[in-house]
Amino acid sequence: MSSIQEDDDLVFRKICSLIEPLNDKGAKLTRDTDLIADLEIDSVAVLDVVMDIEDNYDISIPVNTISEMKTIGELVDAIHAIKKEQS
Amino acid sequence: MSLFDKFQNTATLYNSLLEETGRDPFGVSMDEMKGPTRAMVKGKEIVLAGTNNYLGLTYDDAAIAAAKEALEQSGTGTTGSRFANGTYAGHRQLEEDLAAFLGYKHCMVFSTGYQANLGAIAALAQPPHDVILIDADCHACIYDGCQLSGAETIRFRHNDPTSLDKRLSRLGDDVKGKLVCFEGMYSMFGDVAPVKELVEVAHKHGAYALLDEAHSFGVFGDHGRGVCERDGVLDDVDFYTGTFSKSLASIGGFVASNHPELEFLRFSSRPYMFTASPSPANIAAASAALARLKADDSMRTALWDNAKRVHAAFTQLGFDLAAPMSPVIAVKLSGREEAFMAWNFLMEHGVYVNLAIPPGTPNATSILRLSVSAAHTNEDLDAIINAYTALSELLSEKAAHA
Ligand SMILES: Cc1ncc(COP(=O)(O)O)c(C=O)c1O
Repeated sequence: MSSIQEDDDLVFRKICSLIEPLNDKGAKLTRDTDLIADLEIDSVAVLDVVMDIEDNYDISIPVNTISEMKTIGELVDAIHAIKKEQS
Repeated sequence: MSLFDKFQNTATLYNSLLEETGRDPFGVSMDEMKGPTRAMVKGKEIVLAGTNNYLGLTYDDAAIAAAKEALEQSGTGTTGSRFANGTYAGHRQLEEDLAAFLGYKHCMVFSTGYQANLGAIAALAQPPHDVILIDADCHACIYDGCQLSGAETIRFRHNDPTSLDKRLSRLGDDVKGKLVCFEGMYSMFGDVAPVKELVEVAHKHGAYALLDEAHSFGVFGDHGRGVCERDGVLDDVDFYTGTFSKSLASIGGFVASNHPELEFLRFSSRPYMFTASPSPANIAAASAALARLKADDSMRTALWDNAKRVHAAFTQLGFDLAAPMSPVIAVKLSGREEAFMAWNFLMEHGVYVNLAIPPGTPNATSILRLSVSAAHTNEDLDAIINAYTALSELLSEKAAHA
Protein backbone atom coordinates (compact mmCIF):
# COMPACT_ATOMS: atom_id res chain seq x y z
CA MET A 1 0.00 0.00 0.00
CA SER A 2 1.43 3.39 -0.94
CA SER A 3 1.78 6.01 1.74
CA ILE A 4 -0.92 8.19 0.19
CA GLN A 5 -3.36 5.34 0.29
CA GLU A 6 -2.40 4.52 3.83
CA ASP A 7 -2.91 8.11 4.87
CA ASP A 8 -6.19 8.12 2.99
CA ASP A 9 -7.30 5.16 4.96
CA LEU A 10 -6.32 6.80 8.26
CA VAL A 11 -8.24 9.97 7.46
CA PHE A 12 -11.21 7.91 6.34
CA ARG A 13 -11.21 5.92 9.55
CA LYS A 14 -10.81 9.05 11.66
CA ILE A 15 -13.82 10.65 9.99
CA CYS A 16 -15.87 7.50 10.44
CA SER A 17 -15.05 7.44 14.14
CA LEU A 18 -16.25 11.05 14.46
CA ILE A 19 -19.44 10.37 12.53
CA GLU A 20 -20.28 7.05 14.17
CA PRO A 21 -21.96 8.64 17.26
CA LEU A 22 -24.41 10.38 14.89
CA ASN A 23 -25.07 7.28 12.83
CA ASP A 24 -28.36 6.48 14.53
CA LYS A 25 -29.50 4.15 11.79
CA GLY A 26 -26.31 2.08 11.95
CA ALA A 27 -25.67 2.58 8.24
CA LYS A 28 -22.46 1.16 6.79
CA LEU A 29 -20.00 4.00 6.27
CA THR A 30 -18.20 4.08 2.92
CA ARG A 31 -16.55 6.78 0.83
CA ASP A 32 -19.87 7.18 -0.98
CA THR A 33 -21.98 7.69 2.12
CA ASP A 34 -23.83 11.01 1.85
CA LEU A 35 -23.86 12.70 5.24
CA ILE A 36 -27.19 14.43 4.92
CA ALA A 37 -29.12 12.13 2.54
CA ASP A 38 -27.92 8.76 3.89
CA LEU A 39 -27.28 9.49 7.54
CA GLU A 40 -29.86 12.24 7.99
CA ILE A 41 -27.35 14.28 9.96
CA ASP A 42 -28.58 17.88 10.06
CA SER A 43 -26.56 20.65 8.49
CA VAL A 44 -25.46 22.11 11.83
CA ALA A 45 -24.25 18.70 13.04
CA VAL A 46 -22.19 18.37 9.86
CA LEU A 47 -20.52 21.67 10.70
CA ASP A 48 -19.76 20.35 14.18
CA VAL A 49 -18.22 17.14 12.84
CA VAL A 50 -16.07 19.28 10.57
CA MET A 51 -14.98 21.31 13.62
CA ASP A 52 -13.75 18.09 15.25
CA ILE A 53 -11.88 17.21 12.07
CA GLU A 54 -10.31 20.67 11.99
CA ASP A 55 -9.03 20.34 15.51
CA ASN A 56 -7.83 16.81 14.94
CA TYR A 57 -5.73 17.76 11.89
CA ASP A 58 -4.97 21.32 12.93
CA ILE A 59 -6.43 22.73 9.72
CA SER A 60 -9.25 25.18 8.94
CA ILE A 61 -12.02 24.12 6.62
CA PRO A 62 -14.06 27.14 5.50
CA VAL A 63 -17.85 26.96 5.86
CA ASN A 64 -18.05 27.98 2.19
CA THR A 65 -16.57 24.66 1.06
CA ILE A 66 -18.44 22.44 3.51
CA SER A 67 -21.72 22.88 1.68
CA GLU A 68 -20.03 21.49 -1.42
CA MET A 69 -18.95 18.31 0.36
CA LYS A 70 -21.72 15.74 0.37
CA THR A 71 -19.99 12.40 0.90
CA ILE A 72 -17.41 11.06 3.31
CA GLY A 73 -15.07 10.57 0.33
CA GLU A 74 -15.33 14.24 -0.63
CA LEU A 75 -14.56 15.17 2.95
CA VAL A 76 -11.47 12.93 2.93
CA ASP A 77 -10.26 14.50 -0.31
CA ALA A 78 -10.88 18.03 0.98
CA ILE A 79 -8.85 17.31 4.10
CA HIS A 80 -5.93 16.09 2.01
CA ALA A 81 -6.08 19.18 -0.18
CA ILE A 82 -6.27 21.55 2.78
CA LYS A 83 -3.56 19.71 4.72
CA LYS A 84 -1.27 20.15 1.77
CA GLU A 85 -2.16 23.80 1.34
CA GLN A 86 -1.93 24.77 5.00
CA SER A 87 1.24 22.86 5.88
CA MET B 1 -38.27 16.51 -8.99
CA SER B 2 -40.31 19.46 -7.83
CA LEU B 3 -39.25 22.67 -6.15
CA PHE B 4 -41.06 21.53 -3.06
CA ASP B 5 -39.52 18.08 -2.52
CA LYS B 6 -36.84 19.46 -0.24
CA PHE B 7 -39.43 20.50 2.35
CA GLN B 8 -40.77 16.99 2.69
CA ASN B 9 -38.76 15.79 5.68
CA THR B 10 -39.39 18.89 7.73
CA ALA B 11 -43.04 18.93 6.75
CA THR B 12 -43.53 15.33 7.87
CA LEU B 13 -41.96 16.02 11.25
CA TYR B 14 -43.92 19.21 11.66
CA ASN B 15 -47.24 17.63 10.74
CA SER B 16 -46.76 14.69 13.07
CA LEU B 17 -46.08 17.05 15.98
CA LEU B 18 -49.07 19.11 14.99
CA GLU B 19 -51.42 16.14 14.78
CA GLU B 20 -50.65 15.06 18.32
CA THR B 21 -52.00 18.22 19.87
CA GLY B 22 -53.60 20.41 17.24
CA ARG B 23 -51.26 23.21 18.20
CA ASP B 24 -48.57 24.78 16.07
CA PRO B 25 -45.63 25.98 18.17
CA PHE B 26 -44.28 28.00 15.25
CA GLY B 27 -47.54 29.60 14.25
CA VAL B 28 -49.06 30.84 17.49
CA SER B 29 -51.23 33.88 16.99
CA MET B 30 -51.51 36.39 19.80
CA ASP B 31 -55.16 37.08 19.08
CA GLU B 32 -55.30 40.09 21.36
CA MET B 33 -52.46 41.70 23.30
CA LYS B 34 -53.26 42.52 26.92
CA GLY B 35 -50.05 44.29 27.82
CA PRO B 36 -46.32 43.55 27.78
CA THR B 37 -46.67 40.14 29.43
CA ARG B 38 -50.17 38.90 28.56
CA ALA B 39 -52.08 37.94 25.43
CA MET B 40 -55.26 36.15 24.47
CA VAL B 41 -54.60 32.96 22.50
CA LYS B 42 -57.59 30.94 21.32
CA GLY B 43 -59.83 32.56 23.90
CA LYS B 44 -57.47 32.01 26.81
CA GLU B 45 -55.24 34.52 28.58
CA ILE B 46 -51.61 33.47 28.40
CA VAL B 47 -48.54 34.72 30.26
CA LEU B 48 -45.88 35.62 27.72
CA ALA B 49 -42.59 34.12 28.85
CA GLY B 50 -40.94 33.68 25.48
CA THR B 51 -40.35 37.19 24.15
CA ASN B 52 -37.37 39.50 23.95
CA ASN B 53 -39.11 42.27 25.86
CA TYR B 54 -36.33 42.41 28.45
CA LEU B 55 -37.07 45.87 29.82
CA GLY B 56 -40.81 45.52 29.29
CA LEU B 57 -41.08 48.78 27.35
CA THR B 58 -43.59 47.75 24.67
CA TYR B 59 -46.37 49.69 26.41
CA ASP B 60 -44.25 52.45 27.88
CA ASP B 61 -46.27 55.68 28.08
CA ALA B 62 -43.47 57.90 26.85
CA ALA B 63 -42.63 55.59 23.94
CA ILE B 64 -46.28 55.34 22.88
CA ALA B 65 -46.72 59.12 23.07
CA ALA B 66 -43.54 59.70 21.03
CA ALA B 67 -44.58 57.14 18.42
CA LYS B 68 -48.04 58.69 18.11
CA GLU B 69 -46.59 62.15 17.66
CA ALA B 70 -44.14 60.94 15.01
CA LEU B 71 -46.92 59.11 13.24
CA GLU B 72 -49.06 62.23 13.05
CA GLN B 73 -46.15 64.49 12.23
CA SER B 74 -44.10 62.42 9.80
CA GLY B 75 -46.55 59.89 8.44
CA THR B 76 -46.95 56.13 8.41
CA GLY B 77 -43.89 55.17 6.38
CA THR B 78 -40.83 56.67 4.71
CA THR B 79 -41.35 54.89 1.35
CA GLY B 80 -37.63 54.85 0.73
CA SER B 81 -34.23 53.68 1.88
CA ARG B 82 -31.76 55.47 4.12
CA PHE B 83 -29.68 56.02 0.97
CA ALA B 84 -32.47 57.86 -0.86
CA ASN B 85 -35.47 59.61 0.66
CA GLY B 86 -35.77 57.54 3.85
CA THR B 87 -33.50 59.47 6.20
CA TYR B 88 -35.51 61.83 8.39
CA ALA B 89 -34.30 64.00 11.25
CA GLY B 90 -35.39 61.28 13.66
CA HIS B 91 -33.15 58.64 12.05
CA ARG B 92 -30.15 60.95 12.30
CA GLN B 93 -30.96 61.95 15.85
CA LEU B 94 -31.25 58.35 16.96
CA GLU B 95 -27.87 57.57 15.41
CA GLU B 96 -26.36 60.40 17.41
CA ASP B 97 -28.11 59.35 20.60
CA LEU B 98 -26.99 55.74 20.27
CA ALA B 99 -23.41 56.76 19.51
CA ALA B 100 -23.42 59.09 22.53
CA PHE B 101 -24.95 56.46 24.81
CA LEU B 102 -22.38 53.84 23.82
CA GLY B 103 -19.48 56.27 23.60
CA TYR B 104 -18.73 55.63 19.93
CA LYS B 105 -18.12 58.28 17.30
CA HIS B 106 -20.26 56.75 14.56
CA CYS B 107 -23.54 54.92 14.27
CA MET B 108 -25.73 53.74 11.42
CA VAL B 109 -29.38 52.82 11.80
CA PHE B 110 -30.70 49.93 9.68
CA SER B 111 -34.24 48.67 9.18
CA THR B 112 -33.75 45.62 11.43
CA GLY B 113 -30.99 44.06 13.51
CA TYR B 114 -30.89 41.26 10.97
CA GLN B 115 -30.04 43.76 8.27
CA ALA B 116 -27.52 45.57 10.47
CA ASN B 117 -25.44 42.41 10.81
CA LEU B 118 -26.00 41.41 7.21
CA GLY B 119 -25.07 44.89 6.04
CA ALA B 120 -22.00 45.30 8.22
CA ILE B 121 -20.49 41.88 7.56
CA ALA B 122 -21.18 41.79 3.82
CA ALA B 123 -19.75 45.25 3.27
CA LEU B 124 -16.72 44.89 5.53
CA ALA B 125 -15.45 41.49 4.42
CA GLN B 126 -15.01 40.79 0.75
CA PRO B 127 -13.59 37.87 -1.21
CA PRO B 128 -10.99 36.80 -2.10
CA HIS B 129 -8.60 38.27 0.47
CA ASP B 130 -10.73 38.87 3.57
CA VAL B 131 -11.64 36.16 6.05
CA ILE B 132 -14.50 36.05 8.55
CA LEU B 133 -14.28 34.05 11.76
CA ILE B 134 -17.54 33.38 13.54
CA ASP B 135 -18.53 31.78 16.80
CA ALA B 136 -20.16 28.44 15.96
CA ASP B 137 -23.38 29.44 17.73
CA CYS B 138 -23.82 32.81 16.03
CA HIS B 139 -27.30 33.88 15.01
CA ALA B 140 -28.60 33.15 11.52
CA CYS B 141 -28.12 36.76 10.44
CA ILE B 142 -24.38 36.51 11.05
CA TYR B 143 -24.21 33.32 9.00
CA ASP B 144 -26.28 34.98 6.30
CA GLY B 145 -24.03 38.04 6.39
CA CYS B 146 -21.09 35.73 5.65
CA GLN B 147 -22.95 34.19 2.73
CA LEU B 148 -23.86 37.57 1.32
CA SER B 149 -20.25 38.67 1.73
CA GLY B 150 -18.92 35.58 -0.02
CA ALA B 151 -15.64 35.87 1.91
CA GLU B 152 -14.05 32.73 3.30
CA THR B 153 -15.76 31.95 6.60
CA ILE B 154 -14.31 29.85 9.40
CA ARG B 155 -16.21 28.82 12.54
CA PHE B 156 -14.52 28.69 15.92
CA ARG B 157 -15.79 26.76 18.95
CA HIS B 158 -18.52 28.50 20.86
CA ASN B 159 -17.21 30.92 23.49
CA ASP B 160 -13.69 29.53 23.09
CA PRO B 161 -10.89 32.13 22.70
CA THR B 162 -8.27 29.37 22.30
CA SER B 163 -10.17 27.91 19.38
CA LEU B 164 -10.31 31.37 17.79
CA ASP B 165 -6.61 31.87 18.46
CA LYS B 166 -5.73 28.61 16.69
CA ARG B 167 -7.80 29.46 13.66
CA LEU B 168 -6.39 32.97 13.39
CA SER B 169 -2.85 31.54 13.67
CA ARG B 170 -3.49 29.15 10.82
CA LEU B 171 -4.42 31.88 8.33
CA GLY B 172 -2.05 32.34 5.40
CA ASP B 173 -0.07 35.49 4.64
CA ASP B 174 -2.25 36.36 1.68
CA VAL B 175 -5.17 37.17 3.98
CA LYS B 176 -5.78 40.91 4.15
CA GLY B 177 -8.73 41.82 6.36
CA LYS B 178 -9.90 39.62 9.24
CA LEU B 179 -13.29 40.06 10.86
CA VAL B 180 -14.20 38.15 14.02
CA CYS B 181 -17.94 37.93 14.83
CA PHE B 182 -19.53 36.89 18.10
CA GLU B 183 -22.37 37.86 20.42
CA GLY B 184 -22.73 39.17 23.97
CA MET B 185 -25.49 37.02 25.42
CA TYR B 186 -26.63 34.18 23.16
CA SER B 187 -30.35 34.15 22.51
CA MET B 188 -31.15 30.46 22.80
CA PHE B 189 -29.30 29.33 25.93
CA GLY B 190 -28.72 32.73 27.54
CA ASP B 191 -25.02 32.01 27.94
CA VAL B 192 -22.58 34.90 27.86
CA ALA B 193 -19.41 35.23 25.78
CA PRO B 194 -15.93 35.86 27.21
CA VAL B 195 -16.01 39.15 25.32
CA LYS B 196 -12.78 40.56 26.76
CA GLU B 197 -10.74 37.49 25.84
CA LEU B 198 -12.24 37.21 22.37
CA VAL B 199 -11.51 40.87 21.62
CA GLU B 200 -7.95 40.45 22.88
CA VAL B 201 -7.33 37.39 20.72
CA ALA B 202 -8.79 39.14 17.67
CA HIS B 203 -6.59 42.18 18.14
CA LYS B 204 -3.49 40.12 18.84
CA HIS B 205 -3.85 38.82 15.28
CA GLY B 206 -4.67 42.18 13.75
CA ALA B 207 -8.32 41.22 13.28
CA TYR B 208 -11.37 43.43 13.81
CA ALA B 209 -13.98 42.43 16.40
CA LEU B 210 -17.68 42.65 15.56
CA LEU B 211 -19.86 42.11 18.61
CA ASP B 212 -23.63 41.62 18.36
CA GLU B 213 -25.23 42.75 21.60
CA ALA B 214 -28.78 42.14 20.33
CA HIS B 215 -29.85 40.37 23.52
CA SER B 216 -27.49 42.09 25.94
CA PHE B 217 -28.00 45.78 25.08
CA GLY B 218 -30.02 47.28 27.94
CA VAL B 219 -29.49 44.11 29.96
CA PHE B 220 -25.78 43.90 30.90
CA GLY B 221 -23.35 46.52 32.18
CA ASP B 222 -23.79 49.24 34.79
CA HIS B 223 -25.51 51.48 32.24
CA GLY B 224 -27.03 48.74 30.09
CA ARG B 225 -24.42 49.10 27.35
CA GLY B 226 -23.98 45.38 27.06
CA VAL B 227 -21.59 42.59 27.99
CA CYS B 228 -18.66 44.63 26.65
CA GLU B 229 -19.46 47.33 29.20
CA ARG B 230 -19.63 44.76 31.97
CA ASP B 231 -16.26 43.38 30.86
CA GLY B 232 -14.69 46.82 30.51
CA VAL B 233 -13.91 46.52 26.79
CA LEU B 234 -16.58 48.74 25.26
CA ASP B 235 -13.89 50.94 23.68
CA ASP B 236 -12.04 47.99 22.20
CA VAL B 237 -14.90 46.58 20.16
CA ASP B 238 -14.49 47.58 16.52
CA PHE B 239 -18.10 47.14 15.44
CA TYR B 240 -20.96 47.01 17.92
CA THR B 241 -24.25 45.78 16.44
CA GLY B 242 -27.65 45.87 18.07
CA THR B 243 -31.37 45.84 17.51
CA PHE B 244 -34.39 47.90 18.53
CA SER B 245 -36.55 44.78 18.60
CA LYS B 246 -35.65 43.60 22.09
CA SER B 247 -34.83 45.97 24.96
CA LEU B 248 -35.89 49.00 22.92
CA ALA B 249 -39.28 47.46 22.12
CA SER B 250 -39.51 48.68 18.52
CA ILE B 251 -38.10 47.56 15.15
CA GLY B 252 -34.76 48.50 13.64
CA GLY B 253 -31.08 47.85 14.12
CA PHE B 254 -27.76 49.63 14.29
CA VAL B 255 -23.99 49.37 13.94
CA ALA B 256 -21.77 51.64 16.04
CA SER B 257 -18.01 52.09 15.76
CA ASN B 258 -15.11 54.41 16.42
CA HIS B 259 -13.76 53.76 12.94
CA PRO B 260 -14.65 56.74 10.74
CA GLU B 261 -14.74 54.31 7.81
CA LEU B 262 -18.09 53.06 9.13
CA GLU B 263 -19.60 55.94 7.15
CA PHE B 264 -18.48 54.23 3.90
CA LEU B 265 -21.09 51.57 4.58
CA ARG B 266 -23.76 54.12 3.76
CA PHE B 267 -22.93 53.70 0.10
CA SER B 268 -21.57 50.18 0.03
CA SER B 269 -23.87 48.14 2.25
CA ARG B 270 -26.68 46.67 0.20
CA PRO B 271 -28.97 45.84 3.16
CA TYR B 272 -28.73 49.52 4.09
CA MET B 273 -29.18 50.91 0.62
CA PHE B 274 -31.88 48.73 -0.87
CA THR B 275 -34.63 48.48 1.70
CA ALA B 276 -36.98 51.04 3.21
CA SER B 277 -35.86 52.78 6.40
CA PRO B 278 -37.71 52.20 9.69
CA SER B 279 -40.97 54.12 9.97
CA PRO B 280 -41.01 57.40 11.90
CA ALA B 281 -43.10 55.81 14.66
CA ASN B 282 -40.60 52.95 15.06
CA ILE B 283 -37.74 55.41 15.29
CA ALA B 284 -39.55 57.62 17.78
CA ALA B 285 -40.46 54.64 19.96
CA ALA B 286 -36.87 53.39 19.94
CA SER B 287 -35.58 56.88 20.79
CA ALA B 288 -38.00 57.21 23.68
CA ALA B 289 -37.12 53.73 24.94
CA LEU B 290 -33.43 54.61 24.80
CA ALA B 291 -34.13 57.73 26.85
CA ARG B 292 -36.01 55.61 29.40
CA LEU B 293 -33.18 53.09 29.53
CA LYS B 294 -30.67 55.88 30.18
CA ALA B 295 -32.77 57.57 32.86
CA ASP B 296 -34.04 54.61 34.80
CA ASP B 297 -31.95 51.70 36.12
CA SER B 298 -34.90 50.22 37.95
CA MET B 299 -36.09 48.28 34.89
CA ARG B 300 -32.77 46.50 34.66
CA THR B 301 -32.86 45.79 38.39
CA ALA B 302 -36.37 44.37 38.10
CA LEU B 303 -35.31 42.25 35.13
CA TRP B 304 -32.44 40.67 37.02
CA ASP B 305 -34.52 40.18 40.17
CA ASN B 306 -37.10 38.34 38.09
CA ALA B 307 -34.40 36.28 36.38
CA LYS B 308 -32.96 35.28 39.75
CA ARG B 309 -36.31 34.22 41.09
CA VAL B 310 -37.21 32.04 38.10
CA HIS B 311 -33.72 30.58 37.82
CA ALA B 312 -33.68 29.64 41.51
CA ALA B 313 -37.14 28.06 41.27
CA PHE B 314 -36.19 26.01 38.18
CA THR B 315 -32.94 24.90 39.77
CA GLN B 316 -34.88 23.71 42.77
CA LEU B 317 -37.32 21.85 40.54
CA GLY B 318 -34.32 19.97 39.19
CA PHE B 319 -34.55 21.11 35.56
CA ASP B 320 -31.51 20.71 33.36
CA LEU B 321 -30.68 24.36 32.60
CA ALA B 322 -28.60 25.28 29.59
CA ALA B 323 -26.60 28.11 31.17
CA PRO B 324 -25.89 30.00 34.39
CA MET B 325 -28.49 32.54 35.56
CA SER B 326 -29.44 35.22 33.01
CA PRO B 327 -32.72 36.65 31.67
CA VAL B 328 -32.90 33.77 29.20
CA ILE B 329 -33.58 30.53 31.01
CA ALA B 330 -33.51 27.48 28.76
CA VAL B 331 -34.62 24.07 29.99
CA LYS B 332 -33.07 21.15 28.13
CA LEU B 333 -35.29 18.20 27.29
CA SER B 334 -34.50 14.73 26.03
CA GLY B 335 -35.55 15.28 22.43
CA ARG B 336 -37.95 16.87 19.98
CA GLU B 337 -40.99 14.89 21.08
CA GLU B 338 -40.54 15.58 24.79
CA ALA B 339 -39.84 19.24 24.14
CA PHE B 340 -42.95 19.55 22.01
CA MET B 341 -45.07 17.77 24.60
CA ALA B 342 -43.69 20.05 27.34
CA TRP B 343 -44.26 23.16 25.25
CA ASN B 344 -47.84 22.15 24.66
CA PHE B 345 -48.33 21.32 28.34
CA LEU B 346 -47.15 24.81 29.32
CA MET B 347 -49.54 26.39 26.80
CA GLU B 348 -52.38 24.41 28.34
CA HIS B 349 -51.25 25.79 31.70
CA GLY B 350 -51.37 29.34 30.37
CA VAL B 351 -47.68 30.00 29.71
CA TYR B 352 -46.09 30.73 26.35
CA VAL B 353 -42.37 29.99 25.94
CA ASN B 354 -40.26 29.41 22.82
CA LEU B 355 -39.80 25.87 21.58
CA ALA B 356 -36.41 25.36 19.96
CA ILE B 357 -35.57 22.05 18.32
CA PRO B 358 -32.79 20.95 15.95
CA PRO B 359 -31.63 21.98 13.44
CA GLY B 360 -30.96 25.50 14.54
CA THR B 361 -30.10 24.76 18.13
CA PRO B 362 -26.55 24.24 19.39
CA ASN B 363 -25.45 20.60 19.77
CA ALA B 364 -28.81 19.40 18.45
CA THR B 365 -30.45 20.14 21.81
CA SER B 366 -34.20 20.46 22.25
CA ILE B 367 -35.07 23.27 24.62
CA LEU B 368 -37.84 25.40 26.01
CA ARG B 369 -36.54 28.94 26.00
CA LEU B 370 -38.02 31.21 28.62
CA SER B 371 -37.13 34.87 28.81
CA VAL B 372 -38.03 37.10 31.70
CA SER B 373 -39.06 40.70 31.42
CA ALA B 374 -38.82 43.63 33.78
CA ALA B 375 -42.57 43.90 33.21
CA HIS B 376 -43.36 40.46 34.61
CA THR B 377 -45.37 40.93 37.79
CA ASN B 378 -45.12 38.62 40.76
CA GLU B 379 -48.40 37.15 39.60
CA ASP B 380 -46.91 36.42 36.18
CA LEU B 381 -43.91 34.77 37.78
CA ASP B 382 -46.14 32.71 40.09
CA ALA B 383 -48.06 31.47 37.06
CA ILE B 384 -44.83 30.60 35.25
CA ILE B 385 -43.33 28.78 38.22
CA ASN B 386 -46.58 26.91 38.93
CA ALA B 387 -46.80 25.72 35.34
CA TYR B 388 -43.19 24.53 35.40
CA THR B 389 -43.77 22.81 38.75
CA ALA B 390 -46.64 20.85 37.19
CA LEU B 391 -44.42 20.10 34.19
CA SER B 392 -41.65 18.78 36.39
CA GLU B 393 -44.12 16.48 38.14
CA LEU B 394 -45.35 15.18 34.81
CA LEU B 395 -41.81 14.56 33.57
CA SER B 396 -40.85 12.69 36.76
CA GLU B 397 -43.98 10.55 36.44
CA LYS B 398 -43.12 9.74 32.85
CA ALA B 399 -39.54 8.92 33.81
CA ALA B 400 -40.77 6.61 36.58
CA HIS B 401 -42.98 4.70 34.12
CA ALA B 402 -40.31 4.40 31.47
C1 LIG C 1 -28.19 37.65 18.05
C2 LIG C 1 -29.20 38.32 17.21
N1 LIG C 1 -28.82 39.24 16.32
C3 LIG C 1 -29.71 39.88 15.54
C4 LIG C 1 -31.06 39.61 15.62
C5 LIG C 1 -32.00 40.28 14.68
O1 LIG C 1 -32.69 41.31 15.24
P1 LIG C 1 -33.96 41.94 14.51
O2 LIG C 1 -35.14 41.32 15.12
O3 LIG C 1 -33.86 43.39 14.79
O4 LIG C 1 -33.85 41.66 13.06
C6 LIG C 1 -31.50 38.70 16.58
C7 LIG C 1 -32.94 38.45 16.79
O5 LIG C 1 -33.60 37.67 16.24
C8 LIG C 1 -30.56 38.00 17.36
O6 LIG C 1 -30.96 37.07 18.22
